Formats: sequence, structure tokens, C-alpha cells
Amino acid sequence: MNRSTVTALAVSSALALALTACGGEDGGDAGGDAGGGATGGEAGGLTGTGTGEDCTIEEPVPVGAALSLTGAAASYGESQQKGLELAAAELAEVGGVTYDLVIEDDQTDPRQGITVFEQLTEDSSVVIGPTLSNGAFQAQPIAQEAGVPVLAISNTAAGITAQGDYIFRVSLTEAQVIPQTVAKATEAYGLEDVVVMYSNDDAFTESGYEVFSSALEEEGVTVSETLTFSKADTDFRALLTEAKAAEPDALVVSGLIEAAIPLVTQARELGIDVPIIGGNGFNNPKLMADGGDAAEGVVVGAAWNSSSEGELNTAFIEAFEAEHGAQPDQFAAQAYTGLKVIDAAVRAGCSGEREDIKAGLAGIADVDTVLGTLSINAERDAEHEAVVQVVENGSFTVLD
Amino acid sequence: MSQAVLVFVALNAILAFSFYAVLVAGQLSLGQAGFGALGAFTAVALAPEPSEVGDVPALLVAILIGMVVGALAAVLLGLPTMHLRGVFLAIATLGFAEAVRILLINAEWTGGANGMSVPKVVTPLIAWVALAVVAYWFWRQGPSSYGRALAAIREDELAARAMGIDVGRHRLSAFVTAGAVAGLYGVLWAYFVRLLAPEDFDFTRAIDGLVTAVVGGSTMWLGPLLGSGFLTLVPEVQRALGVEAGWIRPFIASALLLVVIVFLPGGLGSFLPRVRVRARPTASGAGTDRPGLVARTHAAAGEPVVRIVGGNKDYGGVHAVRDVDLTVGSGEVVGLIGPNGAGKTTLVNMISGLVPASSGTFEVLGTRPGRTPVHRIARAGVSRTFQHSKLFPRLTALENVLVGAHVVSRPTFLRRLLWLPGARRDEAVVVDHAAGCLARVGLADRSSVDASALSYGDQRRLEIARALASDPSLLILDEPAAGMNNVEADALSELIASLADEGLTILLIEHNVGMVMKTCHRIVVLNFGEVIATGTPEEILKNPAVVEAYLGSDGDSPPGTPHTQEAR
Repeated sequence: MNRSTVTALAVSSALALALTACGGEDGGDAGGDAGGGATGGEAGGLTGTGTGEDCTIEEPVPVGAALSLTGAAASYGESQQKGLELAAAELAEVGGVTYDLVIEDDQTDPRQGITVFEQLTEDSSVVIGPTLSNGAFQAQPIAQEAGVPVLAISNTAAGITAQGDYIFRVSLTEAQVIPQTVAKATEAYGLEDVVVMYSNDDAFTESGYEVFSSALEEEGVTVSETLTFSKADTDFRALLTEAKAAEPDALVVSGLIEAAIPLVTQARELGIDVPIIGGNGFNNPKLMADGGDAAEGVVVGAAWNSSSEGELNTAFIEAFEAEHGAQPDQFAAQAYTGLKVIDAAVRAGCSGEREDIKAGLAGIADVDTVLGTLSINAERDAEHEAVVQVVENGSFTVLD
Repeated sequence: MSQAVLVFVALNAILAFSFYAVLVAGQLSLGQAGFGALGAFTAVALAPEPSEVGDVPALLVAILIGMVVGALAAVLLGLPTMHLRGVFLAIATLGFAEAVRILLINAEWTGGANGMSVPKVVTPLIAWVALAVVAYWFWRQGPSSYGRALAAIREDELAARAMGIDVGRHRLSAFVTAGAVAGLYGVLWAYFVRLLAPEDFDFTRAIDGLVTAVVGGSTMWLGPLLGSGFLTLVPEVQRALGVEAGWIRPFIASALLLVVIVFLPGGLGSFLPRVRVRARPTASGAGTDRPGLVARTHAAAGEPVVRIVGGNKDYGGVHAVRDVDLTVGSGEVVGLIGPNGAGKTTLVNMISGLVPASSGTFEVLGTRPGRTPVHRIARAGVSRTFQHSKLFPRLTALENVLVGAHVVSRPTFLRRLLWLPGARRDEAVVVDHAAGCLARVGLADRSSVDASALSYGDQRRLEIARALASDPSLLILDEPAAGMNNVEADALSELIASLADEGLTILLIEHNVGMVMKTCHRIVVLNFGEVIATGTPEEILKNPAVVEAYLGSDGDSPPGTPHTQEAR
């Protein structure tokens, strides 16, 4: 094939693509309109008959989810996708109400996040929120303005639900988990003096640091040193040497998992044997997988622990392992819970209409979930008990 | 197409334009993310709330602040980095952008990594109006004398300098334009996405902008828009086609990107026809007293144009030029001959200011080459050709000559922006003048051919036309007949003779002794960097030292036989 043929081929395929694109866009719009019509439809449609378990809705309730399946937050997004799909499959078996779950990828890019959200709000009765908090701040207002309820399943930053009365979340905030973690750890290890380290270029870890610092103050623990690093850093030896010199009772670290693993490993190498208390970023099985023995003694507060008691949790873990051949993590558990909570909200009013789901979510109280007994409070944030875990023999166990 | 897609096509195109702004001048900068971030954060912090003064006024104030801050940041970064080239400039500007990001993350007033919350004001209409203004700017810039100067710098910086273009100033102004456009992007971004976070102005964003500009075509004003349309729509198309979300989508997008880059090196813009400047068929000769051209005053006949006393140039231990005294009077045609390596080109490089002298006094048309920047010497009236052609390869023959006319053309860019009739008239005058110069060297019918596509002999003649276009007081021709056949060389001799008749001062380096003898009033012979003889052609032919050193003592081909004396 000579060069001009190749060029012609490339050009024509690009053109073909562009043409299909136009067609596709039109088709998408038309579909969106049709969906909107169905959503607004009075007869049959998304309003059902019966209540609670007996509720029957004729059409599947459209649920959109914007997750970071590729890009920087892909590891979280993939877990969430697995959790959601598992929940959707289980709900389909229950019957009565079915869900048409559409999962879209925001590529961990705000531009994609906004675009995807705009599209999902057109077609869905409820949208399951973006993986990362910053993305949520940028995308959620679109749903708020369109009057579509949003359920955040992993965002822990403050102010997420303050963006509007259509925004709910099932994930615990750092402000809910960290004080419990600090209190439990202070009690268990008799902490008096700690060194705090955090990455100051990430919204999540920075707000985590703020909560840590007020919780430590509350517990009367002295912070002898505060050290900052970047989320992209991998060498913490200099900082850790400085930290070690302060002879703390514990290291308190607010960082993402990418920093957590080298930080913990290097701390142990330098002979820092005190407990390391981490934020939600540390709540990842990778810590033990990649950190090995170094991870022993890391204390992490979490919304969910695999060893938590309860039938629901055991069944969830079994089903997840059967499906994916691996243990679920908290992101999967929260995503799984998210769809289950939506189901509870839909069944409460036996309607898949946006306003009814909104009312249903606001009324969620004492629902049994894999995260524990969950309620949604007046600020539209979830409330349930956090678990304080410590790494022992290579796995997260509940710290008593 | 959804609202967000429309807005992002426009915003990505504006970001790409901020890269285009410097790519047209051959600069690779990655600092735009930093300019955009600084502009956006400052604007959001200082501009009034939209709820108080209304959406559009607040946005306009924010845009003004953002663009000014972006431009100022570009000046501050540009002053110390403008002497850097290629990848070095890229790294320096990248370092700047990274420093800005770190600064913003650690500053109190920016909200750190959590960013600032911004009301959403930007609509698709606003975004596209902003894009249209930016695109309009670059559309009008392209064929102006300013735009051509930037293109010339991109194509060959040294030649651009020798054509009287102040390269430093032009590069800086391109850089400042990039800063202002990046600031505009930052503000529009902030007022659309609602949360302004430093992470949105990171390295990846800079690369996005660069890739968009290059995919679209970095020498064509619509390129950034094409690139943005393509890259923004690829994910949308895939979504519409139902390609499953996940790794496969970025994979397809990257593969398409690869296809475009491999098969369309000029970017998507190469699908569009290139607008070439055309000469008007009515164009008359190369008269330089046209209204609309900057009038130049030439030295009166006999006044010294070049005065060198004790000129020396050493390269390490090598004395390329030794104690040369040379005076050239106005209207004189002086030939500079000598064997290869005698120092002829070094001498004219010192005269035109490209190479500083090691010692000695140089005065050329009231300037001091070596101390005066090259473009000022060109502005004073020195014009030259190069031993090895230094044309602007991707510009047409006519455009090359138009660049040569830089110092006599009036700036038209600002008037073009406002569609003032004077701009069009002035452009037409310069085009006529350039076409006249082309006609003078016999290239009238090749005016719309790219310089790189011309034959070797035509390229040499084009260089002469380009040098003539500046209406010089002193024309330096460095081996203009090299590679020409006899017929062409004869035509060139006639051209030089006719130029001399018009009173132009010419310094001619040439190995074609016949041509030198025929056209020069006076000949200076260099050997090993020293002047070994000077005098009229007849005197030189009889000078035994010259015959020994250069012309050759072998009696078979007596010196002076045209065309044959090539001392190789």
C-alpha cells in the first residue's frame, strides 16, 4: 500500500467516524428525549404499585453512575464499578423493581466529568456521584440544577452535600471517621506526642489533615512536628528522619495510597516502630500487599471492614469473591451500599421518579447495609458507625 | 451536542491557541498552564461577584484581569528565558508552570488543593464568542508584516535577524500573546467548571494544549479549533457509538491521535487550502519610492559606507581575519576574492554584525557591528545573502521577499484587526514592491512556489530578491553565482551591473573571477585572513602575489577568462 492510499484510508475513516458521530449524537439526543418523556409520563412508567418489598414498577428505573474508570483514580473507580454491578445483579433477582444501570467513565478529568454528568442527568432518575471530591464539586451542580438526585458513594470532603438539596451521600466524611480513629488510637496506645505528615497538594488529604489536627487537639495529643509532602513523592526518608528525631508516640499521616506504601515501608526501614495512623487513603488492601510486614501496626479508620460482623456483610463478601475472585474493598462496599440505598429509597415511595427518589433518600433511616445500620441525616450525609482497624498479620482487623 | 461539549470544544481550542501563538514563532513553551492558573486565580479573587454586578460585567472584568495577569506573567518569565531555544525553553517554562502550581497549592488565598468555588457564568455562546475573538486575532495576524516576521523567525532565525527583524522583541510579544490567551482560558475555565483547583493546570493540561495545537496544525490559524474539535469529540463519538466505558476508549483515542500525527504531519489544518499572498498582475518594477513604503535615505555618492580599521577575528589560535583595513564608499562595487578559507565570509559576517570582531574598529552606515544588534544594522541599510542559502523554506518565494521588505513595510497588524483600509493599501504596496523584486531577478512566475521547492539556482536568485526588498544602502552578496550555470551567471552579472548603475553599494564575494572582473570597480584579495592586494580589476590581474595565491600561475588558462576560474 503506498502512502497516498494510506492517507486516503485514514482520511476516509476519519470522515466516516465524523459522520457516524453526527448520526450518533442525534440518535443519542432523540433517545434522551424519549427517556425524558417516559420519566415524566403519568400512566405506568416509573410510578409503581404496592409499597416496600411488594413494590412493582413496570419500567426499569434508569440509574447513571459517573466513575473514574481510567486516569489517576481508576483503581477506586474499578472497585466501585464491581460493587455497583454486583448490587444491580442482586436487585434484578429480587424483582418488582429493575434498574437500568449505566456506568460512564469520567477519566478522572473534570471536563469529562462535567460532560458525562450532563448526559447522565438527562437520562437518569438518579445519578451515582463522581469518584473524587473535586470532580463532585464541579459536576454535581449540573444535577442539582436539573433536579436529579445525586448519591455520592466515595466522597469524603466537607461540603459535598451542601451544594444542594438533591445531593446525598452514603460515604462517611473524614470528619466523621477521623475523630473516632484518633480517639480509639489514643485510648489503645496512650498517645501523648505525635508527628503529623500530609500531602498538601491534594484536596482530599489536605482536608483529612485539618480534621486530624482538630481531632488530636480535642484528645489533648501534642503535635510536635507537622511535615508536608507532595502526592507524587515517593522518597520520604528525609522527612521521616526528621520525624524520628522528634521521638513521637505515633505518626499521623494524611496521604493517598500511592504515598502511603513507600512512606510506611521507609518508616519501618528507618526503625520507626510506633503505630502509623492513616486517613482514608490508607484504607486499601494494597497497603499490605505491597508494604508487607512494614504495614503491621498501621491504624486506619474506615467506613467498612471485611471482618465486620453481620450476615449481610458475609454474604456480600462471598458473592463478590465468587464474582471477581478477590476481596472487595471499601469502595466496592460503599458502591454496593449506594445502589441498595437507592433501591430502599425507590421502594419507600414505590416510584422511580426523580422527586420521589429524592424524598425517599431523605427519609432513609436505620437501613441495614453492609456498612452497618445506615441513616441519612438532615444534612443529607450518611451516619453509621466507623470501624477503626489495625493491620495485624497482613490484614485489617478491628482495633479494640 | 450537549452544552458542556460545546463549551469544552471552545475552551480547549482557546488553550490550543495559546500554544499556537508561540508555535508560529517556532517557540516550544509549556508555561501556558501556569499563565492560565495565575490569571484564573487572580481574576476570581479580585473580580466582583456575578451576583452583585451581573454575570457578563463580572466575567468581562475577570477576563480583563486574567489576560493582564497572564500577559504580565509571560513578560516576567519571558525576559530571562527568551534566549533559550527548543527543548531548553520547554523545560524552563514547564518548570515555571510547575512552580506556579505548587505556589497556588500552598497559598492561603487560593484555598490550596481544595481550590476556589466559582459561580458558573460561561455559556456555550460566551465561550464561542471568546473563541471567535481569539481566532479572529490570529487570522488577522497571519498575513500581516508582524505575522510574517514570526513565521520568518520560525523558519530561520538568523536570516530573520539579517532581514532587520528584532527577534527578541518578536519572540517576547508572541510569548505575551500566549500568556494573555492562556489567562483568558483560565478565567473561562474557572467560570464554567465552578471549582477552580490548581490540579486542573498541571503538566497534563499543558500537554493537552500542545497536542491539540499540533494535531490541528501549528502553522494554520484554524488549526487549534480543528484539533480541539477532533480531540474533544472523539470521546463523545465513542460514547454515542456505545464503546464500553473503560480503558478501550482512551486506547482508541490515542490510536487516532497517532494516525493523525503519522499521516498528517501538518495537522488537520493541512486539509484546508493554504491562503497564499498573490502578486497583482499589474505590479510594476521594484521602485522603492512608492507611498506606503518606509522611505530610506541613502548615503551620498562617495561617502564611506563601510570603514574597517585593523579588523581582526581569532577563533582560538586561528586568525581568520588579520589586521584588515577596508573602506567602501557609497556607490562602489567592491569584489572580495581569495581562496577558500581566506576569511571572506568571516569578514562580511563581521560587517553585517553576525560575528563580533576580536579587535579593530568597524563602522557601517553609522552603526558599530559587533556592538549594535544585527537587526539594527539591517535597519541601517545593510542587506545580505548567505553563502549557503538561508531562505524561509515553508514560505513562498513572494513571502520570502515580503519578509525581506520587513524594514521598509509599515506595520499593518493592528490596522488589519480593525479592517482599516490603509492596511490593505499598504499591504498591496509592499506586495507590489516584493513582486517587483522577484521580477528583477527573473522569478516573477515562481512567486507562489515554496522556497524549498525552487531549484538551486532559483533559490540563489530568490535570496538576492529578498535582500533587494529592503531597499538597502549596502548589499552584501556571498557567492551569489555558486551553483549557477553560465547563462544564469551572465544574467546575474547583468543584474549586479544594473544595480550598480542605480548607485547601490555592493560587496561581492565570488569565485567566478570573470564576473568579479566584469562588475567590480575595485577588488580586494584576501589570503590567510590578510589583504594581499587591492586595486582595480586590471591591477589585480597583473599583481603577481594574487596570481600566486589565488588566480593560479599556470599559463594555460589566463586569468580573466570568464566562468572558469574556480579556485577549489
